[in-house]
Amino acid sequence: MTQLFVERFPDQARLVRLAFFNSFAAFGIGALFGLIQALHRTDVLRIVESPTYYTVLTAHGVFLVITFTIFFLVGLYQWAVTTSLERRPVDMRITKAWYWLMSIGTVIAGITILAGFLDDPPEVLGSQLSADVLFTFYAPLQGNPLFYVGLVLFVVGTWLAGVDWFRTWWAWKGDNPGARIPLPTFMVLTTMIMWYISSIGVAVAILAFILPWSLGLIDSLNPTLTRTLFWYFGHPVVYFWLLPAYLLWYIVLPKLSGGRLFSDPLARVVFILFILLSTPVGIHHQYLDPGIAEGFKYIVMTNTMFLLLPSLLTAFTVVASMEHGARQRGGEGYFGWLDALPWRNPAFTGMALAGLVFAFGGFTGIVNAGMNINYLVHNSAWVPGHIHTQVGTAVALTFMAGSYWLIPQLTGNRLVWRQAALVQVLLWFIGIVFMTNSMYRAGLVGVPRRTAEPQYAFEYDVGVGSMTELDFQLALGGFLLFISAMLFLAIIFMTWRNSESEPIVDGTIPPALSGPEDSPRVLDNLRLWIAIALVLVAIAYVIPLASIVTRGGLFGPDIGPFPVFTDPMILLEYGSKLIGMVVI
Amino acid sequence: MAKSQVTRKITHDEFDPVGTLALIVLYFIVLMLMWVFTYFVEFVGNDPTPFVVA
Amino acid sequence: MRIHVYERLWLVASMILIVAFIATVTYGTVGLGITMVDDREETLSPGDIDEDERFEDPRIEQVGENEFEAYVVAMTFLFQPDPIEVPANSEVTFYVTSRDVIHSFTVVGTNTNTMVIPGEVSVMTVEFDEPGEYGIICNEYCGVGHHDMEAELIVVEEDEFDLTELSVDAPDTVEPDAEIELTATVSNGLIDDLEATVTVEIGDETFQEDVTVGGDESEDVSITVDADDLGEGDHDWTVTVDDYEETGTVSVASDTDENDDGSENGEDTTDENDASSTVEDRLS
Repeated sequence: MTQLFVERFPDQARLVRLAFFNSFAAFGIGALFGLIQALHRTDVLRIVESPTYYTVLTAHGVFLVITFTIFFLVGLYQWAVTTSLERRPVDMRITKAWYWLMSIGTVIAGITILAGFLDDPPEVLGSQLSADVLFTFYAPLQGNPLFYVGLVLFVVGTWLAGVDWFRTWWAWKGDNPGARIPLPTFMVLTTMIMWYISSIGVAVAILAFILPWSLGLIDSLNPTLTRTLFWYFGHPVVYFWLLPAYLLWYIVLPKLSGGRLFSDPLARVVFILFILLSTPVGIHHQYLDPGIAEGFKYIVMTNTMFLLLPSLLTAFTVVASMEHGARQRGGEGYFGWLDALPWRNPAFTGMALAGLVFAFGGFTGIVNAGMNINYLVHNSAWVPGHIHTQVGTAVALTFMAGSYWLIPQLTGNRLVWRQAALVQVLLWFIGIVFMTNSMYRAGLVGVPRRTAEPQYAFEYDVGVGSMTELDFQLALGGFLLFISAMLFLAIIFMTWRNSESEPIVDGTIPPALSGPEDSPRVLDNLRLWIAIALVLVAIAYVIPLASIVTRGGLFGPDIGPFPVFTDPMILLEYGSKLIGMVVI
Repeated sequence: MAKSQVTRKITHDEFDPVGTLALIVLYFIVLMLMWVFTYFVEFVGNDPTPFVVA
Repeated sequence: MRIHVYERLWLVASMILIVAFIATVTYGTVGLGITMVDDREETLSPGDIDEDERFEDPRIEQVGENEFEAYVVAMTFLFQPDPIEVPANSEVTFYVTSRDVIHSFTVVGTNTNTMVIPGEVSVMTVEFDEPGEYGIICNEYCGVGHHDMEAELIVVEEDEFDLTELSVDAPDTVEPDAEIELTATVSNGLIDDLEATVTVEIGDETFQEDVTVGGDESEDVSITVDADDLGEGDHDWTVTVDDYEETGTVSVASDTDENDDGSENGEDTTDENDASSTVEDRLS
């Protein structure tokens, strides 16, 4: 048994623990807000007023898909780079800088969101301290400028983290001329390349348009433009959540299964495909937008469908790696080998169940990609169904399962309550099946997403089952997920406190069955892939963006701001004025 | 790791992932069936649908 | 590159899947003629909505045999017009724009669904075959009252559908020796002629007149009554055309009394009594 990570790199282990701490704190808050929403929407229990639901929803989105996922990513990637290159960062000050930048950004954005709970939020920078704009912050809905400032600091922090990892790699390359990039580092670098290319979109949207507009420096913006720039970033960001889970599936899951990664070359191909295809697909979130020609939508549809390829290849490689483990453990037959897998290990079972959910969620992603079928599902409850199977389970459950394996190596403590951990991952799986089954089916009958009260004057035409049954499944699923989340946090907390113990965990990663020597060196030529990616992005985006700007102008056809306050009276007054205007 | 229970070593050339092949073929079929159902029953059967004006 | 034979097989199968999905969507576009909301309309600033001849008066218009256009404005937190009424067996093109933030125009339980972005006009043509009632909702978060943003879409029997409007022009007060002239204007928004009977009741008298209103035209029906025949005092009148009804009151009084009686008409500053009814009135 080799030395634990915490013994080899105590300062790095500390940093990873700090990142995970932020991640899990956000996870706890986000999970609580998730439960409040599940009960509110279904009218089981309404502890907030419906207008405040949107504060809860904004916080749920930002804390979970920005803070929880991305802090876990930077922690995991710091671990991955450090172990696979066997070296520390070139300059630890940079490492600390990105951690603190991201943390401060989170706190600033978090405060502006949570201030939405106040009855009378204070005035800051010329507007109320509130940002009930959801995680997509579509202009002309307007949040407090500090919300956008927080997001910018956070994203700049992630950029700096990427620089840090690249520098570590360059230093390593100098010492190891001609060596292939170790696979975990390769995954980190390719993920960050994708992130640099894509996060430019949101940076431009915020810095050039939304932030100056929220400060009152410009009067108007073009909502179609800022929306398109958001989705330029908004789809790749889902791969930013997913690729750390892929890293765990490729690097850790085969080992947990008792086997070895089936193919290192294909893992590299998969990550390269993500560099190339993640970004030129964002318009598939805008299939139902006016102002974008159908031809552009069609091109993006084909790109999006090809983005299935890396995930389908992953399905094979990861399952084959698991099968290799099962066969080495004595498994036989076409399906009998599944029985030989270590199902009593929560880290394994969590990841395997996450993969299973991902396979089904992949299908719903195909539906989302299917251009005209978007008329059926767009902005219906189907979409959060998809998000909760993919990010909420494939990613989140893999992170939790991975934590059961990683935390002992980061703390030097033994994992407590292994049986409870197994129950935790199972509970998550059961919860998500109930909740997303309800969301998918409700979405198909037209129940909308992102609403406090999906109860209207008309009745939904539920073909099979009933709304009561769908609501029950949603509430039950949300409840089980919340219990599971709290159990996870308790296990992690107790493990962290469990310092009087020796961990039983083997951190060594066995080499792949088919190693990097089986693949052409061109796969490691990152410059080439960046160049091709930029060409593809240009093909997919230059003409649509030019068309949007030509049609609506860079700063839009005179679109004024629309601040979102928590105080419903202000808007109700505004609304009644309009109604009055209409009636008269 | 309580029990890793590896009973034999299998190299790349000895390993024939028939189990993976079986699962993945099943997945292929399920994907196809679900797609056809969702597209042609749920979507196309859900009138009215926006269409081309000649 | 060394790739296992099964994995090569799966690579081929994956490509087949991807191409099959693309082919299905393409078939939907080309074969079934399903089009996407696109950029066919010019941009329209929210500030110009009230000057735009499509949206200044959100409404339904007939533009061809069984062809209608609906001009809809979405805003926090309502749709105009509401309800939207169209005939069965028709082809309706919706033009939707937003007065403030991003909304959607979504006919629940159907594929009629579009984003509504301020500055842009969404266009969708759909066919309604059967009568029925649908809910219209906004499914894009638009502010604290988002969940209240709802309207109704009613598809009525073809032969029960009309775009008739009735307005009546009658005096509020007349001198006892004058004549009361009441003019009912019946306008027909449909392309086909409207055959209708205009019935006017005033005092104890009833007048009936059959009119034929041409497509997209209007007809006036005037009746004249001697105020003397009604006598001094207030007299209610009612005008009905099909399902539409307008009512009002005329006072017969000498000049000296005018100030007293005139006050009954409340805010009316003119001495004309203009009334009109449209689909909205009839349904509310």
